[in-house]
Amino acid sequence: MALRTPVRTERPAPAKNVGGRGRRPRPSAAGARIWTWLTLPGTVWMSVFFIASLLLVAAISFGTTDQLGDPRFGTDLGNLKALADPAYRDVMVRSLGYALLTSVICLLIAYPVAYAVALHAGRFKNALIAAIVVPFFANYLVRMYGWSVLLSDDGPVLQLLRAVGLADDHTKILNTGFGVIAGLVYGFVVFMIIPLYAAMERMDTALIEAGRDLYGGPLRTFLFVTVPATRQGAAAGMVLVFLPAMGDFVSAQFMGGPNQIMIGNLIQDKFFEGQDWPLGSALTMALMAVLLLAMFGYLRRTRKDEAEATR
Amino acid sequence: MNPTAPPPRPRRRRGQRRRPVFAIAVTVVFFVLLYLPIAMVVLFSFNAQKSLTIFKGFSLRWYEAFFHDSVLLGSLGMSLEVSLVAMLGSVVLGVALALGLVRNKGRLGAYAGLIMMVPLITPEIVTGVASLLLFKGLGVTLNSGTVMIAEITFSISYVTVILRSRVAALNPEVEEAAMDLGATRWQALRLVTLPALLPAILASAVLIFALVFDDFVLAYFTTGVDPQPLAVRIYSAIRFGVEPTINAVGTLMLAGSITLIGLALAIPRLFGRRGGLDLISGE
Amino acid sequence: MTPTTAPSAAPEAVPAVRLDHVGKEFNGSHAVHDLCLDIAPGEFFSLLGPSGCGKTTTLRMIGGFADPTEGAVLLSGEDVTSLPPNKRNVNTVFQSYALFDHLSVADNIAFGLKRKGVPKAEIRERVGAMVDLVQLGGMAERKPRTLSGGQRQRVALARALVNRPAVLLLDEPLAALDLKLRRQMQVELKQIQREVGITFVFVTHDQDEALTMSDRVAVMNGGRVEQCGTPEDVYERPESRFVAAFMGTSNLVGGVFRDGAVHLDGGPALPVGPRPGIAEGSAVDVSIRPEKIWLSDFEPGMPVVNGVIRETVYSGPTTTYLIELAPGVTVAALEQNTARARMEDRWAGGETVELAYDPEHALVLSH
Ligand SMILES: Nc1ncnc2c1ncn2[C@@H]1O[C@H](COP(=O)(O)OP(=O)(O)OP(=O)(O)O)[C@@H](O)[C@H]1O
Ligand SMILES: [Mg+2]
Repeated sequence: MALRTPVRTERPAPAKNVGGRGRRPRPSAAGARIWTWLTLPGTVWMSVFFIASLLLVAAISFGTTDQLGDPRFGTDLGNLKALADPAYRDVMVRSLGYALLTSVICLLIAYPVAYAVALHAGRFKNALIAAIVVPFFANYLVRMYGWSVLLSDDGPVLQLLRAVGLADDHTKILNTGFGVIAGLVYGFVVFMIIPLYAAMERMDTALIEAGRDLYGGPLRTFLFVTVPATRQGAAAGMVLVFLPAMGDFVSAQFMGGPNQIMIGNLIQDKFFEGQDWPLGSALTMALMAVLLLAMFGYLRRTRKDEAEATR
Repeated sequence: MNPTAPPPRPRRRRGQRRRPVFAIAVTVVFFVLLYLPIAMVVLFSFNAQKSLTIFKGFSLRWYEAFFHDSVLLGSLGMSLEVSLVAMLGSVVLGVALALGLVRNKGRLGAYAGLIMMVPLITPEIVTGVASLLLFKGLGVTLNSGTVMIAEITFSISYVTVILRSRVAALNPEVEEAAMDLGATRWQALRLVTLPALLPAILASAVLIFALVFDDFVLAYFTTGVDPQPLAVRIYSAIRFGVEPTINAVGTLMLAGSITLIGLALAIPRLFGRRGGLDLISGE
Repeated sequence: MTPTTAPSAAPEAVPAVRLDHVGKEFNGSHAVHDLCLDIAPGEFFSLLGPSGCGKTTTLRMIGGFADPTEGAVLLSGEDVTSLPPNKRNVNTVFQSYALFDHLSVADNIAFGLKRKGVPKAEIRERVGAMVDLVQLGGMAERKPRTLSGGQRQRVALARALVNRPAVLLLDEPLAALDLKLRRQMQVELKQIQREVGITFVFVTHDQDEALTMSDRVAVMNGGRVEQCGTPEDVYERPESRFVAAFMGTSNLVGGVFRDGAVHLDGGPALPVGPRPGIAEGSAVDVSIRPEKIWLSDFEPGMPVVNGVIRETVYSGPTTTYLIELAPGVTVAALEQNTARARMEDRWAGGETVELAYDPEHALVLSH
């Protein structure tokens, strides 16, 4: 993921007075203006439909609703204060916890999977990584629905666990926090596998052999050689999973119950059932703030890593 | 045997690393769990009975039901229409943006490069809320048009990210050669640059079609009441009482998007270029 | 190979290319500085110089790919400074060849003619003739990716030549080829240029290439032309220390000019004859090419100096001796290993020898 854009500063130098023919600016022979015309439509489109609309969300979060429930602009801090209300605060803390746990679980799953596929799959490597990526493009809802059927109270997974004595009749997955996290993990684990896989592919396998000589056991080699060498891929994966997990509302709906709702569900509720758009906007801003913080932390870390690497 | 000779050391076979049993076990379980939910949907779409948990024989009745359900068919039509328009719109804008972005070294280029990254790190729900507010603020009635605009906004970034690295990898001398041979800038772009980018453009178009067709969150926030995109219908159906028809629709959508993504991965190969997977890992 | 077509440039003829005080600035630093050049019609003109000296930038300004920040570019007397490349009667052979990968060889070559709206039948005929000229018969329908480096180079050449431009610009067109192919292409290129009679502006950093192919050479350094003249001029009569050092190997020795001789620091004086342009007592460099130093069979009247052989380097047809004239002052001398020179005639290290030279070959360059 290219999170930073290289900013080039070079600009064509202005044409100077040529051959004594006055100071009239000369048309550029190289004609670089076309690139501006190509950039403009997309930039204007994104500015209007994306940047301006985000600013609108920010503005509305200071607004109020009229008697009809329609949003009004304003300078009201009530919505932002409401975020501190325990009812909302708890949901936000829960969302944060779920998203973090999801990232960690994805990391724990993705490491062995990426390791096995990148380093031990031989010529099936590409086929396997495609097999991981392709279902991700299948409809999210349908996948989530299938997952919820699989984990349902009398679904195959619990039946199997009961048969081997790992679960009793009261064990549930759906309608628990674990169920929601399972949904998030299922939804976004691919975002962790791809960067980790890429990092392991780049890794010099001689490192592992050297690690074997140095540390002996495969576990120690993995911990002391593979993990540090792929740290940046893991960090990118953490962010890539955390961002969508934090904003998700489908998993909590399909896999959880009323006590597992996340911030996304609150936002959805304010916009579609509660008709309190200013409060919904404030919640959206809160969500965005958390994500920007996560993003910022990630960028600072990678900067530091790079700075150390070049030292 | 000579007792003083040192015992022969077991020779370590070099280059043959031990198989990481644990990692492979996890991978196998992972693949089973990855595909099982999908397999369930497909399986129960052929169930002869209404049960969603017990398979009672093969039948196509749910597919039949789908093809007689005018509401779902209307949704399918709308989804196809939205995907097609969003694909065309975002490819045109995104390709132009990628070209301009790479070559435009001024402030505009830097700004464009920045704002096209933001959607990629913004959760869809935020984009959805923002689009909804904008359309309401402009007094626009929500319909398939608003869904198209929102989906284009969301897709431009993908197209641009995919195309940008390809554009940067182009040899600028090729375009100059075309102009040297008498082509104008536009002709050089049309006759030389775009053909060179064609595989990536086609692949990203197919990818966008699949993404938009499957997209739920944005469509949910920006659609009107009737018709609604297929994904939104599926959402309501799952949430408010599941009919096995959903399995059939889901299976068809799975088949469709897997075909499309396979196509997107294969296109560069059809043109004799390497790889297709970097299309995805580029995100 | 010697250039047979001397530039047919009567002084009053309109130059095919004129650079009039052209400069190019990138971020405040000059890549090309106040450049003035006239290139005659039909001339094979080379821009020669070390990496980064501004050769490509100069060529790109002639082609219209870079805007000069100062001065004007004239083609056949017409100011084209602000014309885009497609409006200039100039074509370019790019260093990377820049072939259109999605088009066949024939379509690559036809590209320019199609842009000009040349009738189909004529296009076919001219492309066919060009394919023959560059010896690509039988490959017209192949895609560039399937060709070898030398073949791609020919496509690039054909694609440019088929338009019959007034001037052909070539940016190190042979740099990517291996040595043998390069020699062969040098000959072919020169032949083609003679056949079509088009002005060639040829960029290279290979001095052999520039010397063997060109009618005239401009030696560039740091964005300026140091010297411009026939290959003989720049090789035999370099006007600056840079040109002397850059063109082939040269012995550059510092000293003081007095009484028709250059007095080396703590060493002998090298008689060079009267030099009207050089002030008595000024610090100068003497440049003598190794092959212009005689170690035997002197001709009468040659100045002779003594030196000590420090090293002998045998390299097939020639042997190079490193000879110390004074502590810290060493020159190289080149002897042909001709039929008459036998192994045992070669000097060994430590021997004292006599060096002679024609004062005319000793160039005096003031600082
Ligand atoms: N687009 C550019 N932006 C900034 N500086 C440039 C640009 N193009 C060239 N330069 C600078 O101008 C100088 C001359 O470059 P040029 O490419 O003309 O050299 P050259 O003589 O062709 O060298 P070479 O033999 O390596 O090709 C160099 O110092 C180079 O760094
Ligand atoms: Mg160059």
